[in-house]
Amino acid sequence: MSELTIPRGKHVGARVNRVEDPALLAGEAKFVCDLTLPRMLHAAFVRSPYAHARITSIDTSDALAMPGIEAVLTGSDITAYPLSDLVALEGLQKTPQPVVATDRVRFVGEAVAVVVARDPYVAEDAAARVEVDYEELPAMTSVEAAMGDDAPLLFDDLGSNVVFQTTRTFGDPDVAFASADRTYRRRMRGNRFVAAPMETRGVLADFERASGKLTVWSSNQMPDLLRVTLSAVLQFPAQKLRAVAPHVGGGFGQKMTTHPEEVVVAYLALQLGRPVRWIEDRRENLLAAAHAKEQVIELEAAVKDDGTILAFRSRCVGDAGGYSFNQASALIEPWYSATLMPGVYKVQNYEFEVLAVLTNKTPIGPYRGVGWTPGHTIREMLLDEIASDLGLDPAEFRQRNMVTAGEFPYKACVGQVYDSGSFIESVDKALEMIGYEEFRAEQESARARGCHLGIGISPYVEPTGFGSEAAQQQAEFPFPSHDNATVTVDPTGKVTVALSVTTQGQGHKTTFAQIAADTLGVELEDIAVVQGDTDTSPFGMGTYASRAAVIAGGSVALAAGEVRQKILDAAGVLLEIAADDLTIESSRVSVKGSPGRGMSLGDVAMAAYWAPTTRQEGKDPFLSATRFYDPKATYGNGCIVAVVEVDVETGHAQVKRLAVVEDCGTVLNPMIVEGQVRGAIAQGIGGALYESIVYSETGQPLTTTYLDYLLPTSTEVPSIEVGHLESPSPLTVGGIKGMGESGLIAAQGAVVSAVIDALDPFDPEIEELPLSPDRVLRSIGRISG
Amino acid sequence: MKPSPFEYSAPASLEEALEVLAEAGSGAKVLAGGQSLVPLMNLRLAAPEHLVDLNGVGSLSEIRADDGGLAIGAMARQSTLERSTLVEELVPALAHAASHIGHFQVRNRGTVGGSLAHADPTAELPMILLAAGGRVTVQSKARGARAVEANDLVRGYFTTAIEPDEILTEAWFPRLEGAAGWSFQEVARRHGDFALVAAATVVRLDGDTVADAVIALAGVADRPVRAAAAEELITGEAPSAALAEHAADAVRGELSPTGDVHASSEYRREVAGVLVGRALSEAAQRAQAGS
Amino acid sequence: MGKAAITLTVNGAEADGLVEPRRTLADFLREDLALTGTKLGCEQGVCGACTVLLDGQAVRSCLLFAVQAQGASVTTVEGLAASEDFDALQKAFSDNHGLQCGYCTPGVLMTTRALLDTLSSPSENEIREALSGNICRCTGYHGIVEAVKELTAAQA
Repeated sequence: MSELTIPRGKHVGARVNRVEDPALLAGEAKFVCDLTLPRMLHAAFVRSPYAHARITSIDTSDALAMPGIEAVLTGSDITAYPLSDLVALEGLQKTPQPVVATDRVRFVGEAVAVVVARDPYVAEDAAARVEVDYEELPAMTSVEAAMGDDAPLLFDDLGSNVVFQTTRTFGDPDVAFASADRTYRRRMRGNRFVAAPMETRGVLADFERASGKLTVWSSNQMPDLLRVTLSAVLQFPAQKLRAVAPHVGGGFGQKMTTHPEEVVVAYLALQLGRPVRWIEDRRENLLAAAHAKEQVIELEAAVKDDGTILAFRSRCVGDAGGYSFNQASALIEPWYSATLMPGVYKVQNYEFEVLAVLTNKTPIGPYRGVGWTPGHTIREMLLDEIASDLGLDPAEFRQRNMVTAGEFPYKACVGQVYDSGSFIESVDKALEMIGYEEFRAEQESARARGCHLGIGISPYVEPTGFGSEAAQQQAEFPFPSHDNATVTVDPTGKVTVALSVTTQGQGHKTTFAQIAADTLGVELEDIAVVQGDTDTSPFGMGTYASRAAVIAGGSVALAAGEVRQKILDAAGVLLEIAADDLTIESSRVSVKGSPGRGMSLGDVAMAAYWAPTTRQEGKDPFLSATRFYDPKATYGNGCIVAVVEVDVETGHAQVKRLAVVEDCGTVLNPMIVEGQVRGAIAQGIGGALYESIVYSETGQPLTTTYLDYLLPTSTEVPSIEVGHLESPSPLTVGGIKGMGESGLIAAQGAVVSAVIDALDPFDPEIEELPLSPDRVLRSIGRISG
Repeated sequence: MKPSPFEYSAPASLEEALEVLAEAGSGAKVLAGGQSLVPLMNLRLAAPEHLVDLNGVGSLSEIRADDGGLAIGAMARQSTLERSTLVEELVPALAHAASHIGHFQVRNRGTVGGSLAHADPTAELPMILLAAGGRVTVQSKARGARAVEANDLVRGYFTTAIEPDEILTEAWFPRLEGAAGWSFQEVARRHGDFALVAAATVVRLDGDTVADAVIALAGVADRPVRAAAAEELITGEAPSAALAEHAADAVRGELSPTGDVHASSEYRREVAGVLVGRALSEAAQRAQAGS
Repeated sequence: MGKAAITLTVNGAEADGLVEPRRTLADFLREDLALTGTKLGCEQGVCGACTVLLDGQAVRSCLLFAVQAQGASVTTVEGLAASEDFDALQKAFSDNHGLQCGYCTPGVLMTTRALLDTLSSPSENEIREALSGNICRCTGYHGIVEAVKELTAAQA
């Protein structure tokens, strides 16, 4: 059996209920905010009220004098290296960010001091008493302002607020544009929106002085990276540092990178010798946790009269905020928009320009569908415009330009190699699910009675299983992106799977147990999955970029396969038969074809551990294996179709129906896949119609509560119908492709396209998102000014 | 997001509450349902020194027919408005509008008096009180009870005619009678959000023409307002789609709303017209059906 | 600003506390009684993660002060989990994948309990409206709505 094949027993592919659910439903699951330690103190941050200012003085004496206050620290009191990005792309300027500002603040919400108290209420009381004097500097709240000739600089020594600028050309776009029958151009300001996980960030740090051990529990997606980063910036020995991500209440990318507060809380625990906890409140989460998505994108297309797209040209300008953010960098948005712009379409002539620009806003970090979301949205908007202009059906026009089933593996012009897929088929199936023909008839009759319905079609391809090759294909440098799993059968025959990926609600303890169960021939309840603790999990990158199913799934399958062989070898000795003639089912090792001849897995394991006679020369008898996996690049795909209704008098748009076809290769657990798709689509609906971080001209954020930052609720998200296609990857273990981000990547475009379609009789002009009622009325000229 | 410290009193009677409030001075605040005040306190945008909690004053929760209308105790929960047959019978617009206030968990605590005294310019209840031509009773230890008419109650953003030592004890809504119809219209970003714009209308017919009309709006000024010019314009006219359009334009002409992060001034003006047009048509239909 | 002694019933058992008036009911439950199932998501009454039953009614525990619960009866998710009909609730949510990260789940369950107590045979729209005060960032609500539909159908 090739290492790429995984056994498909009764678990892989089955709609298995999650083993995570009982503890979560009973309220027993512990998140960071639920953890307490004896003598624990509480931290509260003092944050800048100015978007851009020099700190002239800080007086902490009043705060320090308050009863119950243990410490008040400013930036100069903290010995830690600043945070910086880890992106090795030539020309990218570094913007080191002190974990607490020392002399300069670059966005509202940047920490300028931290207070530690015996009670969180008192910590906030004292934080309000820290007196900070600022000398206000001019604030820039748009990339246009920050790129102006006279723009004040955020980092004086850089000489510019543009921290990255490059151009790449693929094929011959100039010739293609010159020879095109028609060209089209569109510009869009993609909205700044945020992950907004229901659990805010939170950190608890504990330092045991005698042993020198520092433990940091953090609501974080990458505990190994957190550990390495803390070790580096605090100059603390990594072998004495344990990072733990307990139950994490959603991350969606925001909790990938190490945030300054994680360093500060660890530092406080080291200095004070007492446990310190900081639980971010919602206002801080909307103010100071990484924002996402905002870009200004221009896209041009060269098209033949017959509807063939000859070339694209794009310019993606990322609004990075005050720092090119720790680890991910300011390129996290514009670079990925640019490189995946051709998407599912066969466009081999392409030129892109990428700029990343600092502004006086919260730094941009990763959030589900990094970069791809706004790039995808503007491309699909442009394609609708072209189809309409050419008098072509938008679905047919798209399909005409897509990579067809016979063309895989297909090398996109930027360098991505689409290993397999169902681009055209997924559109057909999604249209069938929504009832496209019937919808067009319904749309016409509804319009006649003043009801405006619209449909948006949004096919996608998503780089998943982000390993080194995928990183190379997307980012031009092989971000070392791998993971590990350890599978161990203990002497009682029970199984522990230790993962380096972490879970924020994706159900890893279920899906990876499903893989191990089928490979080892045991039941789900025989398996425990452990993860999120650097003391007990193998090293790895953690969870991001739709990669866990592919990489952790692959490493679990490989490790479990190796352990299975060890079991069979031991059983072969015990049963005096060749290992190849044995099989394992329901925790029983038996001779193939003679189920009566065998023994329990527990007995085999017991013997393997304690009966030296089972040992074979040259073989390691320990029923455990750790496997490393860095998969080949693979790509998921699918299509989202949305139907909206727009009240053209009030501008209110509502998503009425939504169908999605998802092809993530081998499906491990359809229930979990459907959950991921639906959840991501809800976020895309948010990005299309509701969610936006808004700043005033002076850089004051105006959306720092859930009354102003609007997340979709059960009345804004319709029932979402999910269809599956399965094009297993020929390159990955088990053919697994992974998924998770595509719903957000493609749903924003689907919904925006649907609104534009509904407004078609009024020739809408849309350059900004989300499509609030105000913006809808403006787009059709009902209001102006 | 933890509130600043405060003194707390939980009086068991209105008399006691008035006394505590009088003694506590200007730093005191009355706590009713707390669904608007406590969020502000958690954000430390409000930091009262002393909270006088009315939740123990049982006498303030009564809903009864009174003086040809409906008297609602200040501490009546918003959720009871949705379920009360008396409210549905006497002031149906109130029952309908109440279901648009926040979510049901909020309405389980939120009170009628609290919403009126908080005076959010986008809130439903102050607008309904204005549309209905109701009044509130406020009481202080020093000066006893006095009535405040709906159009005198709100003085600006989150500002009312209620003095610091006074408690709003009751709201009174006249009964909708005769050939009269009502309508409530609202546009919000999401279900349960504060209105971008809301409109409430009452149309009374005399035969085929409008005898009198009330048009009240929320979300278009620093307080709920009536569109007097539009009201005048349709009085004496026969209801029609064209008349509603006409009134809508008149409404737009007499408003100059302030924009915010959710909708601009232009939007609010435009949509105020749209909602008034719809509300007048619906109210006229109801009036015709009821006459 | 002295502390106040309070006595209330939490999940059927008497609970005492000595609290500052400003202490929210949510913090009292979570920090003083260690009933950490109740979650804080916004502390502004919008997200619904802190929803508990106060004398049988669903309320936001972040918008109530603990002193206000003097003499009242509070039910949290821990109390719900100990109740007879919890198995059905648990099964419906698990079967329909009505949770992912689970952070909003306790609040969703308390709302569901209140909904089951007040609405008989609700339509999907009514269910969606009742759930609209509980924000979930993971599921897109589909599984939650399906779970509640199943529970209301079983009750009808």
